[in-house]
Amino acid sequence: MSPEWIEFGRGLCYGGAGLAYGLAGAGSAWGIAIASHSAAGVMREKPELFGRMLVMIALPGTQGFYGFISAILMMTQTGLIGGSVLKITLGTGLALFFVGLGEGLALLISAIKQGEASAAGISLLARRPEAAGRAILFPAFVETYAVISLLATILFIIFLTQPVALQFLGS
Amino acid sequence: MRLMDTAIRRIKNHPGWGFVCGRISALEGKLLSRDFFQSLVAMTHYDDILQHLQDSFLREYLVPGAPWEDFTALADRCFYDLAVSLRRESPSPAPVNLFLCQGDYLNLKNALSGLKDFPFLPGEVSLESIQAIAGGNLADLPLAFHETVSTTGTEASEIVRTVTDIVVDGAYLRHLLFVAGQIDSPLVRACIRDRVLTRTISVLWRALRQGRFLKLYRQYFLPLGEYSPTVDEMIDIGNPDDWAAVVGGEVGDILGEALQWPYTEQVSRFELLGVNHCIRLAADGRLQTAGPERVFAFLTGLHSEMQNLKLAVSGRLNRIEPTLLKERLREVYG
Repeated sequence: MSPEWIEFGRGLCYGGAGLAYGLAGAGSAWGIAIASHSAAGVMREKPELFGRMLVMIALPGTQGFYGFISAILMMTQTGLIGGSVLKITLGTGLALFFVGLGEGLALLISAIKQGEASAAGISLLARRPEAAGRAILFPAFVETYAVISLLATILFIIFLTQPVALQFLGS
Repeated sequence: MRLMDTAIRRIKNHPGWGFVCGRISALEGKLLSRDFFQSLVAMTHYDDILQHLQDSFLREYLVPGAPWEDFTALADRCFYDLAVSLRRESPSPAPVNLFLCQGDYLNLKNALSGLKDFPFLPGEVSLESIQAIAGGNLADLPLAFHETVSTTGTEASEIVRTVTDIVVDGAYLRHLLFVAGQIDSPLVRACIRDRVLTRTISVLWRALRQGRFLKLYRQYFLPLGEYSPTVDEMIDIGNPDDWAAVVGGEVGDILGEALQWPYTEQVSRFELLGVNHCIRLAADGRLQTAGPERVFAFLTGLHSEMQNLKLAVSGRLNRIEPTLLKERLREVYG
């Protein structure tokens, strides 16, 4: 493989990392904004509920961290951060690009939907403060799929950067 | 199942409404249950009633020494203040204006009738404009009036002097349809369409009972959007017993149900059933996390609550039988 193709593969890999944290961060910001609007409206009438709403406001923010973790992992596994720089083939680069894109999309959508679920939970909490424990379950269920997405991404990154995989995907 | 299907089809989330809907979530907890009203109408002592009302939105308005005779004005003021406050925080004023514009049209009715007193709380039309209209400046009339003028080809001043009530009622209903059309919500539009239709039937029915010529309504009450042909046909038929088939749908069923009641109670029963139908329809908006439906549904519930409070308190103060009052209570939101 020529050095140009190796550089192109590496570029795709970092593009995937960028998409993973970029989309996840955007989704988290969006989700938190949705939940915050609702929480601010509730606080207009019941400021004493702030503490109970805080977790639900913060929950959509976790996706941003997941995206960041994936991006860091991609950079460390390919040697950009510390260690020796791997020769990323075009196949590996392409695969990592789509891993990053897939995770980014999953985190973007799950963060927005988690924001909406949090807003619904906040609505329930405002009407029935004693239901706070159950209200937090709704956004927590959405979190499951963000966590699965992160785990799948970590596994993909680890396996795709193993010497066997690099050899298999290289040409 | 049908309710869920309707709600899911008609409602979508609008994050921009998050703040006001969050506030409504907190306010909804204060809405009163049907049991509250059932026990209120059974009370006989003023002190008990006053104590009972401490749990309601009226709490802040029930200051010591407030005369009970003003209870209706007090309830109206409470609804108005909350609605105006929600309007300030809403991305669009339209859902709230659907409730506040009633005061405008009642003031306009006074203005066009030559009265100088405008006691109703203004919604979209300022008191200055109302006074200008009362002074003869009809150019300030809302757009809904202009349609009657252009359709009949008559000068506004001539119309309003002769058939004020008819013109204002028609303009009010047209205005509701117009405002509902501005809201991106099939649920709100469906509610308003049914509200307009039930109100139209009630207006025509009462006119018949008073011996008025329905022909005038064709000329001054219409046009009424998609309902113009229906109203035309009802006017042609002239007998409410045969209107249900023309009206059709759920409102037609309600009309048929009202006709089963004794003659003297038919119209008022139809109005109550119609209002309850609209409240049930609007209540789907509770499923909305953020959107105009939630504001509309809450205000529908609050409006119904205030009407129930006025009925219960004024009824008890005037020693009306609790059973009679219970029969006339509207649906509640909770």
